[in-house]
Formats: sequence, structure tokens, C-alpha cells
Amino acid sequence: MFSLLLLLLSLPPALALECSKDHQDGYQVRLSIKTALGDQAYDWNESELFLFKATIAFAMRKYTKNETYDVSNIVVCNETPRVSFWFIVVNPENPTLAITKTRVEEAVRVSRNRINNAFLLTDKTLEFLGIPPTLATPVTPATPPWLIVFGVVIGAVCAGIVALLISSFVRGKRANKAKEFAEEDDQAKGADKGISGETFEDRNGVYNQAFSDDDRFTQL
Amino acid sequence: MEMEKDARPSWDNPMQFVLACVSYAVGLGNVWRFPYLCQMHGGGGFMIPYLLMLILEGIPLFYMELAIGQKMRLGSIGAWSAINPYLGGVGIASVVTSLYLCLYYNVINAWSFWYLFHSFQSVLPWAECPVNSNQTGYIEECEVATPTQYFFYRETLNISPSIDDNGRVHMGQALCLVLAWMIVYLFIVRGVKSTGKVVYFTATFPYVVLIIYLIRGVTLHGAMNGVKYMFTPKLEQLADPRTWINAATQIFFSLGLGFGSLIAFASYNHHNNNFERQAIVVSLINSSTSIFASIVTFSIYGFKATFNYESCLERMRLLLLNTFDMAEDTITLDNVDYWITELNRTHPDQFANLAPKLDTCDLVAELDTAVEGTGLAFIVYSEAIKNMPASQLWSVLYFSMLLLLGMGSMLGNVTAIITPLRDFKVLARNFSNETLNGLVCVFCLLLGLGFTTRSGNYWFTMFNEYGATFSLLFIVLIEIITVSYVYGLKRFEKDIEDMLGHRPNWYWKIMWAVVSPVLLISLFIFYIVDYIRGGTPTYQAWDAVLGKSVVMEYPWYGQAFIALLLVSSVCCVPITALYAFCKKKQKEAKSVPRHEHTVSTVSVV
Repeated sequence: MFSLLLLLLSLPPALALECSKDHQDGYQVRLSIKTALGDQAYDWNESELFLFKATIAFAMRKYTKNETYDVSNIVVCNETPRVSFWFIVVNPENPTLAITKTRVEEAVRVSRNRINNAFLLTDKTLEFLGIPPTLATPVTPATPPWLIVFGVVIGAVCAGIVALLISSFVRGKRANKAKEFAEEDDQAKGADKGISGETFEDRNGVYNQAFSDDDRFTQL
Repeated sequence: MEMEKDARPSWDNPMQFVLACVSYAVGLGNVWRFPYLCQMHGGGGFMIPYLLMLILEGIPLFYMELAIGQKMRLGSIGAWSAINPYLGGVGIASVVTSLYLCLYYNVINAWSFWYLFHSFQSVLPWAECPVNSNQTGYIEECEVATPTQYFFYRETLNISPSIDDNGRVHMGQALCLVLAWMIVYLFIVRGVKSTGKVVYFTATFPYVVLIIYLIRGVTLHGAMNGVKYMFTPKLEQLADPRTWINAATQIFFSLGLGFGSLIAFASYNHHNNNFERQAIVVSLINSSTSIFASIVTFSIYGFKATFNYESCLERMRLLLLNTFDMAEDTITLDNVDYWITELNRTHPDQFANLAPKLDTCDLVAELDTAVEGTGLAFIVYSEAIKNMPASQLWSVLYFSMLLLLGMGSMLGNVTAIITPLRDFKVLARNFSNETLNGLVCVFCLLLGLGFTTRSGNYWFTMFNEYGATFSLLFIVLIEIITVSYVYGLKRFEKDIEDMLGHRPNWYWKIMWAVVSPVLLISLFIFYIVDYIRGGTPTYQAWDAVLGKSVVMEYPWYGQAFIALLLVSSVCCVPITALYAFCKKKQKEAKSVPRHEHTVSTVSVV
């Protein structure tokens, strides 16, 4: 009777998978709840751990599409006050067999967003050490936004330049017309422009104000 | 009627002239060079040499250039030819230097446009690293450097590893450069008539932004660290001669002397405009803006340094928590240091493994990193901005301010080229105002496209360091010596009395005759000695693999080009003097036979 009891007691450890640190198919998880949520941080307790196991089970179900994973198939160990622990996923049909690391990784990557959101955390605050985060696809709009602003500004500048040039041109034409009328008037009156119309420039080069009223010439 | 048509255009009112000078003098150097010098040379103590140099050389030289422009009513070439026909080359040298400046300065405006347009996004593009092709992580170059550096060197410039690798023109940069030149054209198309209206905006808006930034800056977390650091004077720096030299050169370049822009602006004044008061006002405004801008810059520095320091502490905290598996709230930012020593004591071997990853977080070291130039404006500032709340708004404001500062200075630079060109009657008669200005802008644009290639930034740095510095010293030295000794102080005084109604007092005369020339000569000698002792000129090349700048020597053609830059503007002076001398000899040779003929006839009679 006593030996039977011993046998029965020794069986469960042999049946269950031994979860340990650095297990070849295990992953370490680290949560930084206080960093992420500050005052609204929740405490880490058994219920939260249960939720975690449930989300991993969900991730495995979603990835494998038919195998029914349950919370009991997620084995957790080495919990620390940091809120980090190791977990191993075991096969639901054969609890001694661990699911390979790569399959777990794939499953987690597919459902990473759902897992993060269940805990109100992000890729940086809910870390699966060894699984690189799936970075969001960069949103590339059809036209880069800077080109749109550039187009608006350069359109306005072009319009300004064209407007200024046209107004200069129109003003020039009007001034020419006015000058023609004035010249016609002068010819009609017979005014003699003569020398008074000429400037010094046409005769002696540039009128140089520097030498207009000085008493000492610069020696050349 | 004809006299009126040839009458020189003028500013609508003296305020436009003052604002134009302010807009020209207050430029990017006030924002990115002065704070750096302040930091390097002892913080608050730097004010002493700075203000002293302002009084000894800044204001007198500024006054002199305004007086020349207002008296001669011509651009730099015409004005100096009028003062002394042998020294017309000084004007030509000014125009050449202004041309070099125009070519590369507008590229900075193109970069400001690029950053400004990229600020209209929900996430600033320099805030995060872009994701790599298989979406497992970030682009390596960005990981090794910082996102702001990556955005500047890779996405804005697409810089090549050295000056030898020329690449294709960066289309975005080229487009922004075209836009920058179009805006410059729009501002100067009608000469002073259009410039005069634009400067109301370009001179005043940067101050609005600076005030807004001052308020935002000093309320940022950690800003006071930076401001305190800046204002703590380290008076021992005053013993270093470099402090005084840098103060002198900063005043000199900040006021924009020697380019001919001030002469050009003043040439459009009325004959009796009171430029003496305006010269003092503009110089004081320029210097106070530098000091004001450095308060803003240092509060931003303080914010950035504190942010980096606290990020460092946060990283160390996480590292300790993760290694020793302690609960999250045991270590806070305040007791990181305590826990480091504690854990070292209790778990020495585990701690030893950790040692290589542990950084020492030092706030003073962060504050000590002094940056100047484009690195400050486009990398350090944008890094600080991305961490501010509502960063898009601050980014738009900041780059608009940079744009206006740069555009204001460009107005002066382009006017310095166009005014002397228009003084040549040949050009003025055959080309209308709009056409001539357009041709100058198109010419500068086409040459400036060279700075938008992949190695363009290296050529830009070369132009920035060698294109204008030495030539300007030479030009202004010749200017002051000409005015004081060749033209004569007496004649200059009479001209000023003619314009203002009173002679300049003893302070001005002493500065012009003695102090400023001595200062300039010593600066000149210092520069020459520095060039000779400096050895092969070097530049900073961006290494994409290491993610930082490395020092490289210029290749032979780079050095040849530097020599060309220096010589081409300086040699205008002796060449023009020689030309004037030859022309005079020619004229004398032509008129001599007539004299002999008359003498002989007289003797016969």
C-alpha cells in the first residue's frame, strides 16, 4: 500500500514536463507594468497570470487552427518580483512533449498585438526575450506629404511672380504711352530741349560726387 | 524728364532702411555661432570681449560703410572707384565674395524648407528610425547614429562617404533650392521697392518666434540647467587669446561687413538721412539678438541634456532591474546611483558581468557637448523639438524662423551683387530691373545645384569656411586704410558733415584711424598664421557604418579649389589697380604729342 502510494506520487513528476530556466523550448517573459501605466498600474497576481496563460493558449489555437490548447498546457515557472517568468507550451495531447521554440515564436508573433492589448502594454513593456517585435508596417501615402505642402507654396510664389511681372509690364506700357503723348505735346509747342536735357553722363563719363567740392585732388 | 527717369530709386521711409539692415545683419550666425562661442569661451564672461569688440571695431566699421554708401549713392564697385580709381578692385572683390556667399547660403534655406515641409506629419520623420525591409528592426545606420542624424545625413543630404564620391542631384533638395531662389527673386524683383516692403516681415517675425521660443524654452524641464551653465562666467577663459580673436571675428562677420550689402542699402538713402544713429541702433540690435538667441539656445540645450541624462538613468535603472530581477518600484531615477553601489557590494560577481553595459550618466558632460553651425540648427535643435509636446507646431515655428533669418540675409547678399551691376549703364539700359535680377538668380541657382549632389555638403563646408572669411578681412582692412589714409579723414569728415550737419566726434576718428585698423591687421595676421600652421585642410565626412563624423583630408583638387576661392577675390584689388595704372599710362601717352606740338609752335613764335 505504501509502495503503491509512493509509485503514484512519483508518477506525476515523470508525466509533467519540467519547466526550468533556460529550457530549450521555453521563453522568458518580462512585464514592465508600472513603467507603462504609472498610477494606473494593476498588481500582478494569480488572476493576471491566468489571463496570460489564456492569451498564449489563444495564440496557439489561432496559429495551429485546430489543436485545442488550454490554460493547463502553458507551464510557468521562475516567477520573480520583477514580474518576469519562463513559460513552456506543451502539446495538449501529450503533456510531456513541449512545443518547439520556433512554433511558439511564430504563434506569438502572429497574435502579438492581441496579447499586448490584453495587458494594456506594448512591445517594449511586454517583452518576450528572444522574439523580435513585429514592427508596424510603415504607412506610405501615395504622395509624400511634404510634396503637397511644397506644391502649395511654390504655386503661391509662382502666382506672385507672374502677377508682379505682369503689373510691371502693364505699368511700363502705360508709361510709354504717356511719354509718347508728352513728346507729341512738346513737338507741337516747339520746345527746345537742347543742352538742358542732356546729363553730364553723356559727356564726361560718370558724374563723380566725390570730387565735386574738394580742394585737394587725390594724386593719381 | 530724363533726369527723373535716371533718378536712383530709394527707400519709402528710413524705417525700411533700418529694417533692411537689421534683417541682413541678424542672420543664422546669431543663432548658431554665437551660442557656441559663448559656451566655448566661458559663458557669461564672453560678453566682456564681445561688447568691447563691438565698441572698438563693430560700430565704427558699420558706420563707415553706411557713410560711403550714402555719400556715393552707388554700389560697391562704383563707390570705391569714385573714392580712388586704383581701388575699384575692392568693390569687385566684395561682389565676388557676395557671389560665393549667395551660391552656398541659399542651400541652407533649401534645407530649412525641406525640414519645414516635413514637419507637416503626424510623427516627425526625425523622431523615429525607419523600419528596415523585413520589418524586424530599424535601419542599421539609424541604430548606430541617432534618428535626427540619420534624417539629416541620409534622408536630407543623402551624403556620400567622402568628397570624392559625387552622386546624383538630390531631387528634393533641388526642388527646395529652386523654391528658395524663386522666393528671393520675388523679394528683390523690383529692387528696393519690393525689398523695402518685404523687410517689415523678415526683420520682425523672427523676434516673435524667438520670444515664443524663449517662453517655451525656459518652461521646459531642465532648461534652467542650461541657462545656469551658460551664465556662470568662467573668467579664466579671458586669459586665452583665442577668446578675444573669436569675439572680434564674430562681431565682424555677424554685422556683414565687407560684402558691399551695407553700401548697396545705404546708396538708396536720401542724402541727409541720419545714418549715424541708425548705425548704432542696428549694431546694438544685432548684438542683443545674439545674446537673446543664446538664452533660447541654452534653455534648449539644458532641456536636451537633462532629457538625455534622464534617459541614461532610465536605461541603467532598467538594466539593474532586469539583471537582478527586483520589483519595478524599488529603483527610481533618484536612487539609481545608490543602488549601483549597493548592488556592487552585495552581488559583486553578477555586477562585474554587468560592468561593460553600464554607462556613467553625467549631466555636465551632456551640457559640455558644444555644437555649432548646421549641426546645431538641424540636428541638435530638431532632437530637442521632437521631445517637446506638440512637436509639429514647434518644428514649424522654428524652421520658419530659420527661413526668415536666412532669407533676410540673402536679400542683402543679392542686393550687394545687383546694385553694382545696375550702376553699369550698359546693363541698366539694355536690361530691365526684372530681367537683370532674374538672370542673376538663375545663374546662382544653376551653380548652386552643385551643392545638392551627394557630396554637396562637403563643398558647402568648404565654401562656408574659406569662401568669405579671409577675403572679407582683407577687403575691410583695405577699406578702412583707404578711407582713413588714402581718401583722408578730413575729406571723409567733410562728407559726413555735408550729410548729417555735424562732424563725427573724436571717438569715431580714433577708431577709424587707429584702433580698427590695428585690430584688423592683427586678425589678418592671426588668420594667416593659423592657415599656415594648420597643415593640410581637413573636413568632417559622415561614416555611415560607424554612424559618426570622421576627419578626412581634402584631396588635391579640393585644396586647389580652396586656394582658388581665397585668391580669386583677393587678387581683384591688385589686378584692378594695375589695370587703372595701365589705362592712365595709355591716356597720358595719347595726350603727350599734342602738348609737344603746342610748345614748339609757341617757341617758334
